[in-house]
Amino acid sequence: MSDPTRTPRQFRAYAWLAGSLLLLALPFYLDRFWLQAGLFAMAAAIGAIGLNLLTGATGQLSMGHSFFLAVGAYGYCVLAGESGEENGRHLTGLGLPTWLAAVLAVLLAGAAGGLFSPIAGRLRGAYLGIATLALIFIGQHVLFNAGDLTGGFNGRDVPVLSLFGFDFDDTETVIAAVPFGSSEKLWYVGLSALLVGGLFARGVLRGRPGRAMNAIRDHRIAAGVMGVPVARYRAAVFVLSSMYAGLAGVLIALIFQRTVPDYFGMILALEYLAMIVIGGLGTVAGAVVGAAFVALLPQLLTHYSDSLPLVADPGGGGVTPGEASRYLYGAAIVAVVLFLPGGLTRLSVPTVRRFSGEKS
Amino acid sequence: MTTFVELLLGGLSMGSVYALIALGFVVIFKATEVVNFAHASLLLAGGYVTAVLHDDIGFWPALAVGIAGAAVVGSAVEYTVMRRYRGSDHSVLAIVTIGVDILLTTELTRRIGTDVLALGDPWGDKLLTIGDITIAQTRVAAFLAAALLITAFLLAFRHTTWGVAMRAAAENPQTAALMGVRLGRVSLSAWAVAGSLAAVAALFLTVFPTPGLERATSLAALKAFPAAILGGLDSTTGALAGGLIVGVTESFATGYQSDLTFLGRGFGDLAPYLVMVVVLLIRPAGLFGTKELARV
Amino acid sequence: MKRRARRTNAPRTGAALLVVLALALAGCSGKATEGDGKDSDGAAGGVKTGQGVSDKTISLGVLTDMTGVYASLGKSVTQAQQLWADQTNKAGGICGRTVELTVRDHGYDPQKAVAAYTELEPDVLGFAQFIGSPFVAAVEKRIDGQDKGLVLPQAWSANLLGSPYVRVVGATYDIETVNAIDYLLTNKRITKGDKIGHVYFEGDYGENALVGSEYAAEQAGLTVVEQKIKPTDNDMSAQVAALKKAGVKAVVLSAGPRQAASLVGVAAAGGFNVPIVGNNSAFAPQLLATAAGPALMKDYYIASSTLPIGSAEPAPKKLATEYAAAYPDDVLDNGVVSGWTAASLYGELLKTACENKDLTREGIDKALLGLDAFSTGFGITHDFSDPAAPSTRESVIMKPDSKVPGGLKVVQEARVAEPAQSFTFGG
Repeated sequence: MSDPTRTPRQFRAYAWLAGSLLLLALPFYLDRFWLQAGLFAMAAAIGAIGLNLLTGATGQLSMGHSFFLAVGAYGYCVLAGESGEENGRHLTGLGLPTWLAAVLAVLLAGAAGGLFSPIAGRLRGAYLGIATLALIFIGQHVLFNAGDLTGGFNGRDVPVLSLFGFDFDDTETVIAAVPFGSSEKLWYVGLSALLVGGLFARGVLRGRPGRAMNAIRDHRIAAGVMGVPVARYRAAVFVLSSMYAGLAGVLIALIFQRTVPDYFGMILALEYLAMIVIGGLGTVAGAVVGAAFVALLPQLLTHYSDSLPLVADPGGGGVTPGEASRYLYGAAIVAVVLFLPGGLTRLSVPTVRRFSGEKS
Repeated sequence: MTTFVELLLGGLSMGSVYALIALGFVVIFKATEVVNFAHASLLLAGGYVTAVLHDDIGFWPALAVGIAGAAVVGSAVEYTVMRRYRGSDHSVLAIVTIGVDILLTTELTRRIGTDVLALGDPWGDKLLTIGDITIAQTRVAAFLAAALLITAFLLAFRHTTWGVAMRAAAENPQTAALMGVRLGRVSLSAWAVAGSLAAVAALFLTVFPTPGLERATSLAALKAFPAAILGGLDSTTGALAGGLIVGVTESFATGYQSDLTFLGRGFGDLAPYLVMVVVLLIRPAGLFGTKELARV
Repeated sequence: MKRRARRTNAPRTGAALLVVLALALAGCSGKATEGDGKDSDGAAGGVKTGQGVSDKTISLGVLTDMTGVYASLGKSVTQAQQLWADQTNKAGGICGRTVELTVRDHGYDPQKAVAAYTELEPDVLGFAQFIGSPFVAAVEKRIDGQDKGLVLPQAWSANLLGSPYVRVVGATYDIETVNAIDYLLTNKRITKGDKIGHVYFEGDYGENALVGSEYAAEQAGLTVVEQKIKPTDNDMSAQVAALKKAGVKAVVLSAGPRQAASLVGVAAAGGFNVPIVGNNSAFAPQLLATAAGPALMKDYYIASSTLPIGSAEPAPKKLATEYAAAYPDDVLDNGVVSGWTAASLYGELLKTACENKDLTREGIDKALLGLDAFSTGFGITHDFSDPAAPSTRESVIMKPDSKVPGGLKVVQEARVAEPAQSFTFGG
């Protein structure tokens, strides 16, 4: 049997191999700063995959993604943390093993998504988008006011993740003459979480559920007529997407080592939307590329602001790196939608085996 | 009782300002089915122009230029961005407006910098006192201006050619186009109208008792989201009702916050959204929105 | 079937290869621990050096907010610190080295703030500025546990006390509020049995100030009527109405400049003539040009741990002139003073550390704990020997005045109120 896709596939396999090799080796070379930036990008990628399942593949606009991130992050802290005093406040914690707390936090985020499904199941488009915006406001209110659980404005400490007796903390473990701190160790946690999350989402998108979701997005009524249980699917995708956000939240909490309520606001939710649009709607690769773009761009600009033209030092007048990155990613959203309707991933991936143009 | 009336009046007046913003959303949504998240930056643009010019050319001309300026910015966004989109997914277009908003807001906040800009309005901090009740003149002016503008808009929407074209486009764009309605013009004018309404709203959001226009002013536009949604995104009456409900809810939630401590402090910001969620649970298309007929 | 076999094969070989390669490559990684040159004894003058100090330069980090909610504070503080660095270098630097500030603007975004700290931490001696107390809290464990570089936050919350490496320059908000209320008491503006209102921000700043007002009220037999607001609330009508209804005799404001303008303006317009006192962050000179300007100059007071920039004392006068010359377009406000004070403190520590021949983080820390009388001529002497206490318990009380630069004049010199003296932290 002759296989026309053989060469591209081989090429892909090698590209994957080289890419994974590089990713696995990075902690041995990069500074903590870059590792942390990479970790944020990974966490963002996981969250963006979830949002892409919901908004990109199923066509349900969600502006409340950061709420579910917060549920994951704070859920982990409460489940794994010990009760006690911190900063003169009493904090409640259940003291569960951290791996269990991480799993439960993800489920908790899913449950929060499920609780919202009476609304998510009934509303569409803009209505759903703005209704989910309410989640952010509710979330912020709770984060600031439920001091026993969240630690209020200053947040609370994140318990160190511990797997099979191995602590992912800042105590130095020397591996191949390289001291491993928390960022180096968490790097591999992030990579595995992203890999599992990405593969699972790809499975969902490529299989029957993915087709059903796309059908709901493209023509809801037709999908219903063809036998897709629309309401159930929409609720299920919402729950799944929330679980992805929860996982991203747990990871972000571990990277931050402290949860801060300000983080889980509207800007974050908008950034996630920007990620999936910039990367490409409805695909796993799109979410990952978009997340990398949005999460790394400000870091790159800030770090290299000295050697970039047009970007001034903070305080020197002119465009600061922070502003420059906002201009760039605002423009990126607009430009991608207008000129590159499939997102950045369409730039590089050769169009092999693509019939509908919606899957990868 | 005095407090109650004062809070009610204050709420109604802020609500009418929110209604102006919400009306802009609704107009754009009706004409193009796009939720315009860039509305906050249109508002900031209008306010900024007024604030910068009022010293040189006087308040009223500056306001006129501000209104025109916001209309121009709105039309420019429609013409350069929205019109170029070839896809059909309105959620994607909504996300594009987020991109536009980031661009405009970054530019405007960079210009405003750390200043608090006065708009030079003629009312200052004067109060109106009727019996026991005192209310700032700016609030009265806001209410009157909003009532005037909304009435004018609704009349135009009913009775002018433009209004008919707009309604036809909202009803069914294809048919309207076949009947000779120029959809491009309809959507251009919708963005212009939304911009001017936002500029007026910007004025009343930044006069006494608030200190003036600064970078965070655009956040106030967020209150118009629940207003537009709870009234029904495709209903002009809904925008009016939604705005007033949000204004009054917020005013009461803030004014009586010491009696509502069990809900946590700072409940005023949240209350409009909670009302919105409750309304949506009962009426998924908002109070006055068109109900969807299909049910799957 | 054939396809599947190939697909699973490649990754497996890949994984094996990968592990081998990764380990092999790691050997030549720049991160490998052998001889990375840090913490070595520096050559120049036998001075011991560490992170952020080379033979020619001393690097200090500045984590600021110039594009977010604290933009106006961040800009003044940063420019004042830059001015200090420029002048120090012009005068020959410190310890034969020039001082370099590396500025990162996080725009009040937690992720950017933590990233910026991580980025700068390995390359600087310490941080002359860190805006945003939640972010300081986020990295505090790292500062205390491993990094141990001195951080001077631009925040005055008592929650920051206790760490030997994160040091508050000035009185904390609680103490400041106690002093502010005491000013009203000593001037017979309020008396035992009265109610006072407290309008405060949700968060570190406001809630710490509330601890102070509750303590002061308890000591003086007052009742506090609380009004919590958010930084996005710009219209204080509802709060004024509520406080008026409650019959308060004075109002304490622990919020931002915009809230001050609105609160004072609304109160004055409504004939609600009570004295209003604010914490140091509750004023900006830009406000005097707004509609609330005249009202602010009537019966509004600010408590702070420095003399205002408009003071006629030599140090503020000199700073005001030089700052205005360096940044002619920018406003003179108290951020300039506090930025300058923090930077000068670092300068003082660097000099002491240089004399002790120890320009490491440890050396700075030692110098700080030995510093029990530090003054830059801004009216207050700071004592840094106890990490669990703020560097001073004194506050200056000021009043807005459009005629002086910076818009504030002193109405009461620095002093400690009696209840502030006995106040215990973290209670």
